[in-house]
Amino acid sequence: MKTIVTVKRKALASNDERAGQLRAMLAERGTLALNLISSPGSGKTTLLEATLRELGGELRCAVLEGDVATERDAERIRALGVPAHQILTGGACHLDARLVQGGLEEGRIPEVDILFIENVGNLICPTSYDLGEDLKVVLLSVTEGDDKPFKYPAIFARAEVAVISKADLLPHVPFDLAAVKEQIATLNPRATILLTSSLTGQGMGAWYDLLRARLATKREETA
Amino acid sequence: MHEMGIAIEIYRTSREAVLGHGPGRIERVRVAVGELAAVEPDLLSFAWEAVVAGSADSEAALEVDWRPARQLCSTCGEVAERASGSWLRLCPRCEQPLAVEGGDELDILEIVYEAEEPAVREA
Repeated sequence: MKTIVTVKRKALASNDERAGQLRAMLAERGTLALNLISSPGSGKTTLLEATLRELGGELRCAVLEGDVATERDAERIRALGVPAHQILTGGACHLDARLVQGGLEEGRIPEVDILFIENVGNLICPTSYDLGEDLKVVLLSVTEGDDKPFKYPAIFARAEVAVISKADLLPHVPFDLAAVKEQIATLNPRATILLTSSLTGQGMGAWYDLLRARLATKREETA
Repeated sequence: MHEMGIAIEIYRTSREAVLGHGPGRIERVRVAVGELAAVEPDLLSFAWEAVVAGSADSEAALEVDWRPARQLCSTCGEVAERASGSWLRLCPRCEQPLAVEGGDELDILEIVYEAEEPAVREA
């Protein structure tokens, strides 16, 4: 007997459920969580290093590092005296909520004000997975080329903040900044676009202010 | 490529959904995949074949409903026509910025399930 079973369930519903558990736990702690997504080499870890140097004195921060292999990124963060846990995906191209739950298991990461989750370097696969974060941040370095938002629309449509990194290299590479801003605005008119250089500090003040403001908002919402 | 993980989830969820319908096999699963879901339909179908092979549902087909995003003009209400995979910056009618709507679906819609005939009880 043939039956049509109507399901109407999200394909990643089980991930979304775990992400919901994470979101509730982080809200209870008053922790702001960020999911940093970019292709490899866009400067996610370098942005984090600069950010932790700036905010480390005033806020409690921690980092979950997602990579296919090596402890290198977590070691870079720990060298700054900031707690970090390395999640090794063993080949998988993205983090999912289950891996983040594992990374937050007792004792691995203390309760903090801001939790940075650095996703595996990839502009596609991490897009589909909610990690319980408050905001997705996409990085695009100026050396990657000015056609990327329209080429990888899904992440630019979803990320609330787009950081255009390596601004110090702008004079040396063909990169139409206005065109990139237009592409991002088309995909997500509400996105905040920041132009930064982690090396020179250019534009970093706006990034720090954004983090402080978002943390304050979260504190008010969850108080 | 994360389509394999998604295919596994779709199969697992589909099996759960038919649990109350007795023994049988899944003939077809229909899913919606949006243009902004970051999922490639061909890769998903390829992964699906690998997932169901060797299972009780080895003949199960995956039917993908492709859901394009729409580019709307909030000024004049025009829905802009565009080539698949391309994006427009400005409204072709009034040249105001366009917004993107929809296309983020990644949903299981329905399952066609062939339940085994109940055994005829002897009197």
